[in-house]
Amino acid sequence: MHMAARHPGEQLPQNFCSPGFRMNSLFLLLLVLLFSKDFSGVDGKKWKGEGTTPNLDSIIIGRCYEYIRIVNPAVGEKNCSELLEAFKKAFMNKDPCNILPSDYELFINLSQHSIPPNKSLFWENNQFLVSSYAARTRRYMPLGDTLIGAFGDLLNWCGQANNTEVDDSCPTTEECENNAVESFWRIASINYAKQSSGIIHVMLNGSATGGAYPLKGFFADFEIPNLQKERISQIEIWVMDDIGGPDLDSCGKGSVQTLETQLKEMGYDITCIDNYKSVLFLLCLDHPDHPSCPVVSF
Amino acid sequence: MVLLVGVLVLLVSLVVVIVLAAILTPGRDTSSTLLQWKGRGTTKNLREVVLGRCYNYITMVNPELGNKDCLKIWETLQDAFMYKNPCNITTDDYQPLMDLARHPVPCNKSLFWSKTNELVHRYTKIDHNFLTLEDTLLGYIADQVSWCGDPAGPGINYESCPKWTECESNPSTVYWKMASKMFAEEACGVVQVMLNGSIDAGAFRSSSIFGSVEIFNLDPNKVSTIQIWLMHNIGGPKRDSCTGYSITRLKSILEERNFIVSCEDNYRPVWLFQCVSEPGHEDCRLCFCGIQ
Repeated sequence: MHMAARHPGEQLPQNFCSPGFRMNSLFLLLLVLLFSKDFSGVDGKKWKGEGTTPNLDSIIIGRCYEYIRIVNPAVGEKNCSELLEAFKKAFMNKDPCNILPSDYELFINLSQHSIPPNKSLFWENNQFLVSSYAARTRRYMPLGDTLIGAFGDLLNWCGQANNTEVDDSCPTTEECENNAVESFWRIASINYAKQSSGIIHVMLNGSATGGAYPLKGFFADFEIPNLQKERISQIEIWVMDDIGGPDLDSCGKGSVQTLETQLKEMGYDITCIDNYKSVLFLLCLDHPDHPSCPVVSF
Repeated sequence: MVLLVGVLVLLVSLVVVIVLAAILTPGRDTSSTLLQWKGRGTTKNLREVVLGRCYNYITMVNPELGNKDCLKIWETLQDAFMYKNPCNITTDDYQPLMDLARHPVPCNKSLFWSKTNELVHRYTKIDHNFLTLEDTLLGYIADQVSWCGDPAGPGINYESCPKWTECESNPSTVYWKMASKMFAEEACGVVQVMLNGSIDAGAFRSSSIFGSVEIFNLDPNKVSTIQIWLMHNIGGPKRDSCTGYSITRLKSILEERNFIVSCEDNYRPVWLFQCVSEPGHEDCRLCFCGIQ
């Protein structure tokens, strides 16, 4: 869900065998100075990630009310100001590398709501496809289409330990795992899994390098372990290949097979569909004339 | 002593009168002083929703508009309708808001529509090559919310608002007409329009906002071509088509204004999009010839 940018590691030359040791160590010192300038961040900023989204408070309050008044009024009455306060309390005026999922507990308790049975949609490596397909709860209700999701979707935020410092950057997950955004999505995912029931759907990307089912990812680490087995009737997996993309993984193969086996061993009733037709039509929108897409004659 | 008793009696009777008055007088019901209409009332928390959407729009959807003042936009919107009789709204009421929120639209992206509300908006949520009015700032903040004022305090009516059938100069109709006019004025290059070939009485109607406002506010100096997408509902009747009467009429109106016009029955990407919801339908059960 929150994809952190990858930063190439930097390596210092190791060359202590000497006659020219002194020269080399001076050279080394120079290099260290040069590289340490880079390590302190781009343009003198503290962190490598983008800063807090401007107008965050207004955007969140607006999204909160929009959700409870228009998108999903079944959620009932919520005090959006109270929710925003609880959300901010998790990370404001704190070390931005020391925010734990549990810091959001009060916020989660205030904002959580049940997901209608059969409407849960989990996913990996296809955020925008899932969002488009779910159509803001019209077809399904993925995490991004819940009230909790509305608070974080496509937004970025962090606090500062020293309140007087205003820096337009936030730590990436590479720089530290316990950052405000990462911890938010972890506890949000845990809660989402707990609130899901009926037929559970999972959309995976059969063209993703590294496999359709990442063994280290939100679905594997935070969602599967928190599914409520007694409330789940079936798990349906859809493996979608990119149009014109490679068919690297599919039902019964590779990482998808690993997932199917894992879930079966946990006692779930599993079905798996390659290129589920309904979603395929959606993918074909951008490639209407591709050979993988349906031929029409009127 | 008698005086004391007398005062006591007076006090008691006063209390009784007050109590009776409180019980018998009907409670002052604010809603009964508001005008009553047949449409849904002002959306609750309208301010927060409009502000939030405005900020979301200028921050994330269209960051080129970063200099727009969302608070001012909200206040100008409020001024347009609060404390006014909602059957008496004029273009003057909304003009300041229109001027504040107006922004250019990239060429070749404007997508107009008529009687295809749900389809066209679901479509543009997926395909960002095209923009409807609701993808511009004015449309974005107002989409699916409603508002209207009332001469009585608090000046805003959350219970009900007038429908178009009750009076035409209502806050919603006037707003959307003005916003549509502006959207047409901003259009340039090739523009598209999605029409519904499954409805009665023709896909193109002169009485629609498209037929009465938008086509006449397209600027022939900016807009070169109009592409019509004539969509049928999946499994719906094919009542009209590109060669039908209403489209022929539309073509002649547009050609008279020096536009080039083309028409396509069931424009492919939109048709594919319709099939997302009905993948098993006969109209969608077609050859996926290239799939292994």
